[in-house]
Amino acid sequence: MALVELYDIRKTYRVGDQEIAALDGVTLSIEAGEFLAIIGPSGSGKSTLMHLLGCLDTPTSGRLLIDGIDISRASNNELAAMRNAKIGFVFQSFNLLPKFDVLRNVELPMVYAGVSAKVRKERAMEAIERVGLTNRIHNTPLQLSGGQCQRVAIARAIVNNPKIVFADEPTGNLDSHTGEAILTLFRELAASGRTIVIVTHDNTIAARLPRRIEMRDGQIRIGVEAQVSNTAPLAPSSTEVVAR
Amino acid sequence: MNFWFGLLIGLKEIGAHKFRSFLTMLGIILGVASLLAMFALTEGIAQGMREMLAASGGVERVEINTKDPSEELQDLAFLSPGRTMDDVDALRKGAPLIDLVSPEMVMGNTAVSRSNKTIRLNVSGVCPEFAEVGKFEIEAGRMIGQADIDSVNRVAVIGASVADELWPENPDYIPLGETIQLNGTPYRVIGTFAMCESDATKRKREAGVSAVQDERRIRRVGKKKAAQANKYDTYWQKNHAVIIPVTTLFFDFRTASNADGSPNRKLDRLSIRVANLSLFEEALNQVRAVLIRTHRGIDDFGFDTREEWFDNIESSVRATRLSGSFIAGISLLVGGIGITNIMLASITERIREIGVRRAIGARQRDIFIQIVVESGVIGFIGGLLGLAAAGGMIQLLILLSPTENAPIITTSAVLISFGFAVGIGILSGLYPAWKASTLDPIEALRYG
Repeated sequence: MALVELYDIRKTYRVGDQEIAALDGVTLSIEAGEFLAIIGPSGSGKSTLMHLLGCLDTPTSGRLLIDGIDISRASNNELAAMRNAKIGFVFQSFNLLPKFDVLRNVELPMVYAGVSAKVRKERAMEAIERVGLTNRIHNTPLQLSGGQCQRVAIARAIVNNPKIVFADEPTGNLDSHTGEAILTLFRELAASGRTIVIVTHDNTIAARLPRRIEMRDGQIRIGVEAQVSNTAPLAPSSTEVVAR
Repeated sequence: MNFWFGLLIGLKEIGAHKFRSFLTMLGIILGVASLLAMFALTEGIAQGMREMLAASGGVERVEINTKDPSEELQDLAFLSPGRTMDDVDALRKGAPLIDLVSPEMVMGNTAVSRSNKTIRLNVSGVCPEFAEVGKFEIEAGRMIGQADIDSVNRVAVIGASVADELWPENPDYIPLGETIQLNGTPYRVIGTFAMCESDATKRKREAGVSAVQDERRIRRVGKKKAAQANKYDTYWQKNHAVIIPVTTLFFDFRTASNADGSPNRKLDRLSIRVANLSLFEEALNQVRAVLIRTHRGIDDFGFDTREEWFDNIESSVRATRLSGSFIAGISLLVGGIGITNIMLASITERIREIGVRRAIGARQRDIFIQIVVESGVIGFIGGLLGLAAAGGMIQLLILLSPTENAPIITTSAVLISFGFAVGIGILSGLYPAWKASTLDPIEALRYG
């Protein structure tokens, strides 16, 4: 079974009395250890897709399994637990907590996982070492460069040893040189067996990744995405449409 | 999320905005301070009133007074001898629920003199029980004893102020063995009572303002009136007591004092002490049964208990405390609204942070707890500072008015005030916490 499986995922938003389909029947699977890009222009639905994959939201209809767990109708708390244990996020604007130093920022996901202080520190130090910032652990984000901040964010994303890491335009706020270094870091992480999904509109980045999923109008563009799993079980029945 | 981590975040958040946090806390600080100061003030006043009650004999003391007999007995009222020493003997023998009986014959406006110095006071003829029932304390010498009663000795025990006023040239003189004249009859002073004063008066005396204030008051209301006003004061009365054996008073002054020249055997005051307060009513019934016989079936006596006095103290203290806490409570409430306001502003500032926390796995409950802990910490610190401020406020009150009843800070008042502060802190965080925890993480991440 694939790490992530999506069957006919739809996500619609109501704007006034108009229904807008952000995702319009997406079927997709991601295997463990893959390193892939989701690309597409703004409004294509790639952010919505990432939010669903990242357990920040649930689909209007369809089935979504992550690591074998069906989260299509998961509760708020279940989603939070999934995010905490199985998912790491890296954001375009780093989203570090400015009042905490590097160590505390990286420890944060483990705080919500209920890890003891001693183990927290050990594991945070490991993750920080992995991104090469061991000498900056007591600096606050304001004292770091953009590239360093993104490294801290990556350390935070991998510290709980998640099944999959999502990076939303991770190089968008960085100059090309620094961005390149961050990509290299991702590549290294991927090489060590991590599943990494980079969401970007930058084709030059996507082009260098082993697999690309191009979104257009809420759907995966046929022809570009050739590796869709065909092992999909029965399409979900209408009763599975989430009423929320 | 761990509570201690929440506490740490709360402290950090407060530390990051010290001035803002202090302003927010100020409402709580002042609220707690006024609540505690109010508790302490009412407690002080209550204490003063209880002291006065205790000084006059406490709740267990009951006065047996005269009253008109019931209507059907009014024609026979002359049969009753009234309150006499016979009542005293009968009560001592027939009312075991009463442990002390103190009769008193009062001779009003008596010239109490020593050489050329004369003051006019009430002189009482009493039994030895008088001291215990009236809570008098012997300072020097001894109290009138049963032997003095039996032998009709011309001896007197005087209050502290009497000694001061008769020997003005010699303050603190203890005139044991001296002779004083009561309406011209010589009596030997065998004892003096200790000065009896309230805490307030004591501090007044120690602060040395008494003389100045008294002078001012005398100037304002006139000397006579000022002296009169004094006489309603339990403490004044006790310090101006002149007592002699009841038998001596009778034989020296009462043998022919009735209009027809017959002796006046009637007591002017008859006090008893109930042995056990839990058998108060039973004791009164016993006394009634005894006295109805000595009074030949005429119910021309009644009871004056201090229970009502006591109840009045307690209920007026309760009323003061209630209205005081209501007002102080409002200021605490205003403080709480201040916290809510700041917490709402603070979460708006931190929407993105909340989004990040949610994205990395914080549950709604975790965010909720974090915000409530933060406002709770504000309440907690505000409460502590408020207690300190209350201490200062009370010192200020004492400084401004050193002669009133000293405010008394009780543990329960401290706990209640502090508990209120923390409670208000937590309560005022609930709404902002709910708002923060129900933010959509996606919206929150996009914010700003």
